[in-house]
Amino acid sequence: MSESAPASNSRQVPIALSIGALFSLSFIAIPLIYLIRRALESDGRSISILVWRPKTLEVLITTLSLTAVVVVLATVIGVAMAWSLHSVKIPLPNLFRALVILPIAIPSYVFTFSWISVFPQISGFWAAVFILVLSTTPYVLLAALAGLRRVDWSQYEVAQTLGLNNWESFLRVTWPQIRNSVAAGALLVALYVLSDFGAVALLGVDTFTRAISNLYRGSFDRSTAAVLALILVIISAIIISLETRLRTKTKLQRTSARIIRLPNLISKTRTKLISILLLVIYLATGLVFPLALLFYRFFANAVQVDYSELFSASISTIFASALGALIALALALPLGLLVMQGSWLARVADKGVLIVHALPGIVMGLALVSFGSEISWLYQSVGLLAFSYALLYTAKSVGSVRTSLARVPQNLIDISATLGQTKMQTLRRVVFPLAAPGVLSGSLLVFLSAMKELPATLMLRPTGFETLATEMWRYTSISRFSEAAPYALFLVLIAAIPTFLINRPDKGESEEGDMR
Amino acid sequence: MTFKAVKSRFSLILAFIMTAGIISGCSSTSTEGDSLTVYSGQHEEFMEPLFEAFTAETGIKLDVRYGDSAALAAQILEEGENSPADVFLSQDAGSLGAVGAAGLIRELSADLLNRVPSIYQSVTKDWVGITGRARVFAYAPDRVASLPTSIDDLVTKTWNGRVGIAPTNGSFQAFVSAMIQERGAAATEIWLQGIKNNNPKIYEKNSQIVEAVDAGQIDLGLVNHYYVWEVSEELGRDINAKIGFFQPGDMGNLINVSGGSILKQSKKESLANQLLAYLLSDEVQKSYVTDTHEYSLVFADLKPADLPALSEIKAPAIDLSTLAGLKATQELLVKVGLI
Repeated sequence: MSESAPASNSRQVPIALSIGALFSLSFIAIPLIYLIRRALESDGRSISILVWRPKTLEVLITTLSLTAVVVVLATVIGVAMAWSLHSVKIPLPNLFRALVILPIAIPSYVFTFSWISVFPQISGFWAAVFILVLSTTPYVLLAALAGLRRVDWSQYEVAQTLGLNNWESFLRVTWPQIRNSVAAGALLVALYVLSDFGAVALLGVDTFTRAISNLYRGSFDRSTAAVLALILVIISAIIISLETRLRTKTKLQRTSARIIRLPNLISKTRTKLISILLLVIYLATGLVFPLALLFYRFFANAVQVDYSELFSASISTIFASALGALIALALALPLGLLVMQGSWLARVADKGVLIVHALPGIVMGLALVSFGSEISWLYQSVGLLAFSYALLYTAKSVGSVRTSLARVPQNLIDISATLGQTKMQTLRRVVFPLAAPGVLSGSLLVFLSAMKELPATLMLRPTGFETLATEMWRYTSISRFSEAAPYALFLVLIAAIPTFLINRPDKGESEEGDMR
Repeated sequence: MTFKAVKSRFSLILAFIMTAGIISGCSSTSTEGDSLTVYSGQHEEFMEPLFEAFTAETGIKLDVRYGDSAALAAQILEEGENSPADVFLSQDAGSLGAVGAAGLIRELSADLLNRVPSIYQSVTKDWVGITGRARVFAYAPDRVASLPTSIDDLVTKTWNGRVGIAPTNGSFQAFVSAMIQERGAAATEIWLQGIKNNNPKIYEKNSQIVEAVDAGQIDLGLVNHYYVWEVSEELGRDINAKIGFFQPGDMGNLINVSGGSILKQSKKESLANQLLAYLLSDEVQKSYVTDTHEYSLVFADLKPADLPALSEIKAPAIDLSTLAGLKATQELLVKVGLI
């Protein structure tokens, strides 16, 4: 392709990108191939007993209804909070904006333990709904916020002058414009619920992920567990395609990256009070309560904290998770660029990333054990651990990469080409700078999720490599919560730093990408 | 946020990652001299001091990977002949049996096996028990006037809604497997159905059951004996839960074991032997009883404070090696609807 390639050639897919996408695709295939291989080892009879027993239907119904209820509630609460943060004049908006993301950093087993140690009677379906809504709402909230930032408020005001009230204007003007972003966030919530083990196990709710773990634990039956995991894969594929269908094909037309009119912040007292109340209740239940409980247990039974262990576990956590986020970015970038250009290959890989995201950590762990133990220099290295994080969580960054890239106006790319810039130069000097903030916030989500990952970490870390999550497990598994407290606290503190950086108050409207 | 800001922040992050990498790289262990890789399902808190003493005594370095026993067993099954592990220590006989059934562990020397009674080792001689844990009931003394004498009492009306169990937990499932072995599947199903009809409270972990007894949610729960200490130590106070045994010889008094094995592909059999011999030595066996409140399998008369000795419990004679992965157990529990 000549240097002065006209813009019309941009549909041609650069070969390097395709190779990158092929790599991503083959990595994603590792756990799926593993599952199929294991499933094929089992005899047909025991598979049919397992699949056709009444319990499987029960587990299916429980899994689907839990997912549906959590998605609906998290979406309503997440959108409401996003709207409050975006368009209501509340005090300390940037502090709130950073704090409401932090529950993502609290592992669901810690979350659940903190609640059941105070209210031991809670268990079952609705308790799981409660816990999972608390831990997943930030995904919708982030997506909705990103969507809201792209809404041109002048339309909203036009709606108001045409006689619609606030609620009607939101429904008819704002909602259609943020719907796609919100749906993407809701999808992440659904996949989170499908793959969660901590909350459902402790609260006694039989989802597929719990059934799969019970099979591994109870009977070491890897092939029937693989069959169940494949059913889970099918369920997630269906949910993913549902979301794709829900997405409307509207394209926002804009001529530059920043021409949006921001809303005049609503300062009506009642709206303000309700908004603040909502945010405060969420933070109290989702962040303050679990941390306060850990503190309480810590001080009630004070033990010597081993600071050097705490420090080295923090460093290891940051290192492995950040490396995971980088690998995830390397997997997501070619996919994002290709999806933008309409490549089918990238679209397939894009969906694959999401399916893999719904796999329970133990399945991913065993898949990579099976694959990695063949390669002795790679096995139980930080690299393989980080790679497992990337596979598990690329879904959280691939969307933000894609939408951030899609938001780079085509005419700027065309102008760059007419000014004699090569494709690479255009990417480097026009596309990446505009897409960077969104990409960064997607990587943050990968980082936060990787920090608390436990089952795959236990299997894949180098022997003796302790992260904050494994240190917490070391104590919680023998019910020593007081000793786990400092590690949980550090997990949240470390999560807070990049979260605040991305929400820097001095940057005003910091552009966060949505997640897909 | 401008691109420049992002870029400088990005390079800051990169620099940080590299520094962190260098720091954590430096702290990784070197493998000079004799060393062993141990997969330990037994908890770090209890094992670390023992391992350190072993290294000090023998000069053999240990690289220990801690994890959940069943998950480690699954990992070894996946690794197969490529497993880097030399020794596998497990919390329960079931995980050892699963690895044994796959032919991944080797026959142990008679010196090791002779340390403990043959009921506490594999019939195929490929793993040996190290400590014993008794199945007991934890109860609230102020709410339970007359103690049950048999596991069969718990299906009577007296206990309706008062009992806690953890049916997904390996320790409960091992007990059910033992019952199937002793009484047959049909009788076991009747007992499970009886428990189910008595509206038990279901928990995920033994420690949750003890906490629930202490908190007054249930009056009695089926657990392993040491959890009562564990919970009390965590809470930093005496708890309203006591350990009770069924009458000697009752099905409910099953003794399960933690144990050790040597992997078949390990090239360090003699070093691995030394480690297992150390864990079965008089000194260490005594420390298990005082420090972790477990039973010594070597000294049948040593007992954790206030408990009957192993020789007095008269546990049912069960082949522990077959407690692993009994499909029948899972199927029964599923059929009755407890898991």
